[in-house]
Amino acid sequence: MEQKDKLFKQIFDTNSKKIFHLCYGYTGDTDAANDLLQETFLKVWQNLDKFRNKSLISTWIYRIAVNTCLTYLRSEKRQGKEELTDNIIENRVEEYSEKNEQIALLYKSISKLEENDRLIITMVLDELPYHEIADISGISEGNLRVKIHRIKQKLTEIYNQHATI
Amino acid sequence: MQQFEHIQSLWHSHTVDVKISADEMLNQAKKEVNSIKAKSVLTIVGMAAALFAIAIMWLFMDQNSWATQIALTIMISTIAIYTFILYSGYRLISKNDFTIHPNDFLAQLKLYQLSRFRLYNQLFWFYASALTLSIILYFFELSANFSLSVQILVIAGSLAWMLFCSTIVRKAVIKREKERLSLLIEKFTRISEQFEERS
Repeated sequence: MEQKDKLFKQIFDTNSKKIFHLCYGYTGDTDAANDLLQETFLKVWQNLDKFRNKSLISTWIYRIAVNTCLTYLRSEKRQGKEELTDNIIENRVEEYSEKNEQIALLYKSISKLEENDRLIITMVLDELPYHEIADISGISEGNLRVKIHRIKQKLTEIYNQHATI
Repeated sequence: MQQFEHIQSLWHSHTVDVKISADEMLNQAKKEVNSIKAKSVLTIVGMAAALFAIAIMWLFMDQNSWATQIALTIMISTIAIYTFILYSGYRLISKNDFTIHPNDFLAQLKLYQLSRFRLYNQLFWFYASALTLSIILYFFELSANFSLSVQILVIAGSLAWMLFCSTIVRKAVIKREKERLSLLIEKFTRISEQFEERS
């Protein structure tokens, strides 16, 4: 048990920041991202002994996080809660500066993408290798490259559209 | 006109801080479960205190009427049975730690929800009827010392109180508890489902 604790802490310290960023990119809300981070790592904690080293542990955790994000937002919608990613982001900018405004705009633009695209682009932005993203999202690498190209274009387009308003 | 590289640099310039450690995260998750456990313990303690107070009254107060004796017997038995049922419910959620045995805990949590549902529905009416009967019997001896108007006031007041608890309070408690338990069950189901699908 102590060994499991130690291993979990190590895994958490190494991966939590990236997973939090992924969740934040997906929801645009700190509280929701915290919930998702917690759910993801609870799954990691509970299933650590099922991990068989067939892939990188980070890939395994990303896969859990992606699945958690998708099911979480579906259940939030089922409960009739507000769409997480719209108004919240606009109200979250800590202090006004051009950079903060651009960052808020970036999250807002991400929120305009489809759910799966949002997750893929956050992994691209985090510079995960394509073969890992393919593994996590369950899409073939060839198809993924095409998809990523399309999402990048769409995100840039949305960002530029909002930037000019 | 910005390019994707600009967006990427923005993404990297926005650092996010995870303000929670691994231990804190597990403890935070446990807190939600613990608050349900704590509430359950509090109810049991309250019921046990009531049981103790009535038992003291039974032992040390003079009662001349058979009606009072029956009233206190019914009251004590009812509260004792209800306290035991509450304790059984508490045992259901305290048996397993969800961070160690998630599926067992989820199964027990569902049983707990079912037991609470029964407690607030069929069993509640048994509880309320028994208490009403015991109160009526208890006032049988006491009422001899009161004037008619006080008797009516006491009986009407008791009935109104029982009615208030059985309708408004009961409904509010059921609603609040149902929401809390359903959310928790949904969360744990979500957590365990992903791995059930894969294994």
